[in-house]
Order: sequence, then structure tokens, then C-alpha cells
Amino acid sequence: MRLPKLVRRERASLPVLIAAPVLALAIAALGNLVLYAAIGVNPVAVFHAMLIEPFASYFSMSEILLKAGPLLLSAQGLAIGFRAKIFNIGAEGQFVLGAICASAIPVYMPQASGPWIWPAMLLLGALGGSAWAAITAFWRVRLNANEILVSLMLSFVSLQLLIYLLLGPWKDPMALNFPHSVRFQFDALLPILLPGTRVNVSLLLALLVTVAAWFFVQRSFAGYQLEVGGLAPNAARYAGYSQNGAIWLSLLIGGFAAGLAGAAEVAGPVGQLQRSISTGYGYAAIIVAYLGGLHPIGIVFSAFLLSTLYIGGDNAMVSAGLPIAAVNVFQGSLLLAYLIAATFVRRRLVWPQRTRA
Amino acid sequence: MTNTPNRRNFIAGASVATMVAALGAQARAATADDPLIVTLIIPSPVADVGWGLALFEALETVNADYGEAMQLSVVENIYEGPDADRIMNKAVADGTKFLVAGSFGYQNGAMQIARRNPDVTVLHASGFMVAPNFSPFAAQYSQGTYLMGMAAAALSKTGKLGSVSAFAIPELITSLNAFVLGAQRINPDIELSIVWLNSWFDPAKAQEATAALVAQDCDVLFSNAQDTPSVVAKAEELGVYSFNLNSSMKDYAPNTYLGCVLTDWSPFFRASIEAHLAGSFEGQSAFLGVGDAVVRVVDWSADIPADIMAQIMEVEAGIADGSFSPFTGPIMKADGSEGVAAGVTMTDAEVIGMDWHVQGVTTPLPG
Repeated sequence: MRLPKLVRRERASLPVLIAAPVLALAIAALGNLVLYAAIGVNPVAVFHAMLIEPFASYFSMSEILLKAGPLLLSAQGLAIGFRAKIFNIGAEGQFVLGAICASAIPVYMPQASGPWIWPAMLLLGALGGSAWAAITAFWRVRLNANEILVSLMLSFVSLQLLIYLLLGPWKDPMALNFPHSVRFQFDALLPILLPGTRVNVSLLLALLVTVAAWFFVQRSFAGYQLEVGGLAPNAARYAGYSQNGAIWLSLLIGGFAAGLAGAAEVAGPVGQLQRSISTGYGYAAIIVAYLGGLHPIGIVFSAFLLSTLYIGGDNAMVSAGLPIAAVNVFQGSLLLAYLIAATFVRRRLVWPQRTRA
Repeated sequence: MTNTPNRRNFIAGASVATMVAALGAQARAATADDPLIVTLIIPSPVADVGWGLALFEALETVNADYGEAMQLSVVENIYEGPDADRIMNKAVADGTKFLVAGSFGYQNGAMQIARRNPDVTVLHASGFMVAPNFSPFAAQYSQGTYLMGMAAAALSKTGKLGSVSAFAIPELITSLNAFVLGAQRINPDIELSIVWLNSWFDPAKAQEATAALVAQDCDVLFSNAQDTPSVVAKAEELGVYSFNLNSSMKDYAPNTYLGCVLTDWSPFFRASIEAHLAGSFEGQSAFLGVGDAVVRVVDWSADIPADIMAQIMEVEAGIADGSFSPFTGPIMKADGSEGVAAGVTMTDAEVIGMDWHVQGVTTPLPG
């Protein structure tokens, strides 16, 4: 059987560039319309809840910013590694370790006050994330253990560590064995950035990390070395760029960013250490990184897009009575359609010519 | 305790107030003809069985009485954290006046909503905070699991019982303790092993834990607060008896199903909604059992010997009329010290805060 091949376009034509995402959205929307008709939900209410309501008020827009923060932070760190073909799948675990390390300060010093507390928590969280990622880097360098597996498995270990702390030494003594820490004191909470919302200074940090990532990728020699290592490993080796150095750097950066995000989550909207601190931010960040084309600027857009989709999905459940499974189908089909469209913007389908033997 | 106002939660509260005001502006003004909007938020999907289904069905039953005058909305599978806070705020902004927060993890967010919206009534599952418009509610599962323990001891050949349990919070610990105490009434040497899953809903882990317990010779299993039939179905496959809470799972284990400690929340929800509409709702800790028609044991296995069944019925009648409590001393703690002195009965408050295992539980509490 003859299969068509995808051939890279010389250059993407402008009409295709514009038409592709629009077409993708239209196809995904149409497919979901059929689904809503089948399960008897009003499609107008669903689309209103998903795509309009997130932008309908100052507060709901601020919630997009709040949810985009941890996605943006984690994805920027991951993308640097992914460009070097170092696949850190364990951002979730590094996020959890960041949250744990940051919480150590308010848990052990619940009476402490002063403006140093939240910055120290963020720093401790970022270092904790890095340290957790370092375990993966160490085994990859020493034993050539696959970093995908090690980092992923460590995420499950991190959850066990979290639960151990919450059921044991870090349990709130006043909370009847419920697995959460004490509520953090005021100085252990991040200052609010936009008055009247839950958006805090970690959003500024995420944007700062974005700028730093852009400089690292586009302007620094270390970033260049990583990029060459990812694109042409042989060339990198010939040029004398250290493969081990690339592994260490990629994982430490990824862990740092995810740990920072985890710290900002407990010191931000959560306000205590509890078992559900991450809604899978570490895994969603992988989607964000690839959706943004592994480019620091692209990732900003994809983080806000995904954040909007998540919040829209929640809205659809509350306002339009859509079941959770249909929400997931909508989000998944939209992403899938977009990725297919993005492929065809850069590539075209070529059917093989019949050749005579 | 946790209710003391201070600078931190004043500021947090103030920002929530602003956001609720901002959201509320777009919500249409309520008129007398508008239906009462009741919203249920739960951490797992409303499946065919389990906790979420029990809450949902009870609200549906009440809704059927009210018809057009009540509108029920369900938000399922919501993680206990900042997302849940936003979703509950959104539901209230959209007009919800009666909120059922179906997991202890929603406590802080739900309490903030109650404080900032005095016209909204909040029922919160398994918690310990109370406010004028905020009631925590919990079932006295222990009354049913005590009866199950009697049946389990009669059917166990190995003298070892097992449980796959969600979280080591007092509510679940209490159910397990009563299960063991009931079993010891029939067989004083019986033991219980527990696997703590740290999840309400994890079918794969629940199955693995079931197999592990059976491999350790446990031959009657208690699926404790698992929102999946995994334990019950796996027990059937492995040929051991099992039972669960909230809603019957007999269909998943036609041969080895021991029974179900059913919860029917509709009497409680109906009374609370009536009180809300009449303006007479008063927040208080609701700890409901057999006597309140909230807890009931159904689908008893036909394998239970007739003499044991007669004893079970006798005890059940005693629980229902209040003359018997599973938690009357002497009760020894798992560590060998005295838990409850002879002749003394634990108060509801003591049972709600129970954080120790009785003698006969071989697995230490986590942490």
C-alpha cells in the first residue's frame, strides 16, 4: 500500500497561516456541536460559558492570569530541556517538592514575620525543585537511566512524600487528623498584584522567567550549546560540547522553574500545604511547552490559551451543565485540531508517484 | 481555633468580597418566582455507584418534591484547591443559594463563601467548621459497619479482615474501629489489616490493594469510602466477601456481596432546604445515623447464618432506638492503653474526633 508523505513546505503561505487555526477551531467546534446535540445540552450556552464568560468580567479575566502563572513558569523551564532533547516529564514532582520546601518556613516558624518570608519561600521552593530534578540528572549521567522514566516515577514518589508529611510531622495539630498543614501566616503569602483578585506577584516572576528564557535561548552560548546538542548530537560532540553538562543544565533549569511554580501556588491561592496542590500543572506544562513551539514567546500565548480553556471548561460545567467528560472532549479535540492544522501549515501532503518497475 | 479573625484572613476575605461583588453584578437579581438554585460540587465523577451518586440521588429526590421551584446543578470531578474556590464562587455568582460542598477538602473555600454571602446556605461534608449558614455533615457509618463486622466475623475462616480505605481522617477511622468491635463481639481474636490509598477514586490502586490483602489471607473486605466498585468486583473475582458504603454494589459481586451500609441523605437535605427557604436555617454539626433514617444496611448476604442474623437485627434495633452504641467501653486502643473505660459511652464529639485505632487493628495509622 502506498502512503502519502508529509513534505516540509518551502515557506508557509499567508492564507494558509491564517486559515489553518480558524479552520481547526471550526472543525473542532462542529464536532462538539454534534456531541452536545446528542446529549441534549444547549450548545449556545456551552460556547458562551467556555469562550465568552472567561473574558466577561475583570475578575474572571484575572483568574485566567492566576491559572496561567504556574503553567507559564513550568513550561518555560521544560522547553529549554526539550529543545536539547532532554525529556523531563517529572515537572509535576518538582512542582510538589517546590511546594513542600516553601512550606517548611511557615510550618516550622508559624509565628515569624517580616518581608523576607515569602521571597525566602520562593527561593527554597525553586531550589527544592532543582534538587528533585538533580536525582534524575544524576542517574541519567551515571547509569544512562532514561530520564523520562526516572523523572515520571519520581513524581509519584513526591506525592507519597507529601502525604507522609501531611499525615505525620507537618499535620495541622488543630485539624483532627485532616491531611493539611496549618494555614500560612500573612507574611508567608505572596502580595496581591491586582487588587480585588487572587493574582499575585508570581505572575511578574513568570514573565521575568520568560524574558530570561528568551535571552538564554536566543542570546547565550550555553543556550546555543543545548540547541546544537538537541538538533545534531554528533556535531555537538565534535564541537566538544559536554552532553553531561547539557543533561544537568536542562534538568536543573526545569526543576527550578517547576519548583518556583509549586512554591508560588502554596504561598499564593492555596495558602497552606495540602494534598491537592497541583491540578496536574506539571503535566499540562508539557502540552503548553509543545503548543508554544518550545519558543519562549510562543509559550506565553499557549499558557494563556490553555488557562482559558481550563477555566472555560469549569464554567461550562457550572453554567451550562456540561458533564466533565464532554469538557475533556472539547479541550482535547481543540488541541488535536490545532496541532493537525499547525502541521499542515509547515508541511504538505505528497502522494507517491506510481513508478514502473 | 481556625475561626479567629486576623489580618491574613481579613485581607483574603476582603479580596474575595470584591470578587464576589464583581461577579454578582452580572448575576440577575433574584425574584420571588425564581427557583432555588442548589449546587452540588464533588471531587469524583457522579458514577453509577458511591459517595457522589448518594449525594446526587438524594438531591434529585428532594428536587422531585419541589419540581420547578428548585433547580439542581452538579459540578463533578473538581480538585480540592484554588479551582474549587473559583468554581464555588462562580456558582454563587450565577445565583446558587444552597451549596453542597461534597468533600472535606473544600472546607476553607466553602467557609469563605458562607461568611461573605449570608444569604447562601452551605452544607459541607466531613468537616469541623460551623457558621450560622454553614453546617458540616457526616454519616455515622460506624453504626452500620459494626453490624457488618458481626457478619464478617461469622463468615471469615482465617480470622483476618481487610480494608481498602481512602484517608486516615476520623470519619474513616471510626468506621474501621466499629467494624472491628462488631467482629470481636462474635470472634474476640479477629484482626483487621488496612491499606490506605490516599484517594477517594483510584480504580487501579484499589484493585491492587484488594489483591494484596487477599494474598495476606484476609477473607472479608471492607471497601471504605472508595467511589469505585473496584474492591467489590476484585473480591468477587478472588472469591472473598466484601461490602461497601453509600450505595449498593451488589451488581458487581453477585456471589460474594456481604451487604451495603447505605446512606440516604434525602431526609437531611429536605429538612435543610426547607429551613433555608423558611429563613430558619441554623448552622450546626450534623452527625446522622440509623436513627435519622440516613444510615441503613441493605442487601444482606444470604450466606450469613440465621442465628448471627438474628443477633444483628437485635443490635440494629438497639442502635436505632439509641439504647446501644458501638463505642461503649471497655475499649482498648491498638497500642494497648485504655481507650474507653468500662460502662462509659463516647460522646458524638469524641467519635467525630477519633484519631486512634482499637485493639485488633494490625496496621498502624499513617504518619
